[in-house]
Amino acid sequence: MDRFRFCGDLDCPDWVLAEMSTLARMSSVKMKLLCVQVIKDLLDEGIDYDKVSKLTSDAKFESGDIKASIAVLSFILSSAAKHDVDSDSLSSELQQLGLPKEHTTGLCKSYEDKHSALQEKLREISLRLGRLEAVNWRVDYTLSSSELKQVNEPTVQLKLQAQDPETDSTQTTVVTITADKFRVLLTELKQAQTMMNALQ
Amino acid sequence: MLLVLSEEHKEHLGFLSEVDPAVVGEFGRIAVEFLKKGSNPKIYEGAARKLNVSSESVQHGVEGLMYLLTESSKLMISEVDFQDSVLVLGFSEELNQLLLQLYLENRKEIRQILGKLAPSLPHYHNLEWRLDVQLASRALRHQVKPTVTLKLHLEDGAKRSARVLQTDPATLQHLIHELERALAELKSSHCRRILRNIK
Repeated sequence: MDRFRFCGDLDCPDWVLAEMSTLARMSSVKMKLLCVQVIKDLLDEGIDYDKVSKLTSDAKFESGDIKASIAVLSFILSSAAKHDVDSDSLSSELQQLGLPKEHTTGLCKSYEDKHSALQEKLREISLRLGRLEAVNWRVDYTLSSSELKQVNEPTVQLKLQAQDPETDSTQTTVVTITADKFRVLLTELKQAQTMMNALQ
Repeated sequence: MLLVLSEEHKEHLGFLSEVDPAVVGEFGRIAVEFLKKGSNPKIYEGAARKLNVSSESVQHGVEGLMYLLTESSKLMISEVDFQDSVLVLGFSEELNQLLLQLYLENRKEIRQILGKLAPSLPHYHNLEWRLDVQLASRALRHQVKPTVTLKLHLEDGAKRSARVLQTDPATLQHLIHELERALAELKSSHCRRILRNIK
């Protein structure tokens, strides 16, 4: 089998090839509307299963066929977005796999419309460890302590809420920093920020 | 091999010869349901009232059947051995046939359920990865250090957990190479010979 760009320059999985005939059983108009539903699902906007059963009822799809058609459309659209395939290449590759021209045109139009949104979503769900969710701060002035009568020192308290990399639950860390240490921290972070800005 | 039934077990099953074969059939169906979905004590009460016996007798009868089925399925005993093992209970021929049918029809599914009861290690659920390049750190600027970050999602029964790992491309290559070697081992003649003999 040929290499396909939308499969990341690998062979097309057998099951995808097999489901082309399932998709062809629908009218091209209905299949385009199904694509719209699948894209909504990929973007976490919620898929309307009632609409899906209405769309597939003409073609007399059983529940296995419905699941298969959603799965194959999900795969094609997300994999094409993943590998940044342009609409024309996708069109020619799908036709090579046997998807009729009208169906291919409909699918690629939906893909083109939502191409950036799909990639943005995929970027969002890419692996991130320990996401920083919130930062809160407070400046205190210590007047006195049990060790020293006149302390007279400002400190900053930082409350960091971050996601635990392994459990995905939110963890809170509180740190107290003296003025000197904080100055160092700030300088270093500003250097990192300059570097990040240079890369964007 | 023959099943050896304990005296208590024989006693519990003895109740079955005192009722209609149709009732035994029903108990058999209940026993299989309980094996699949867990037991429901209320059923015992209902059946006991209808048959005018103690709910304890019904419970013993059903549980006796459940145990008979699980032990037979576990050991995968042959038809002949099952019939011989059941002979000792002194049931009618009709009842023996009924029990045999119950065993043969449900054996495969019961074995599947029993298979899930073995202790298991957490297994693969999903793998997310990310390729980064470290350009600078507090200690050193102007670097080019590629790293691969992996999040391995594991599943152990109902529990999900995740492990975060990080490696450089060279170690990743080595890891891939070792895993490919492990896969290739399956195709070696030694392994093939063993698999053939087990099947």
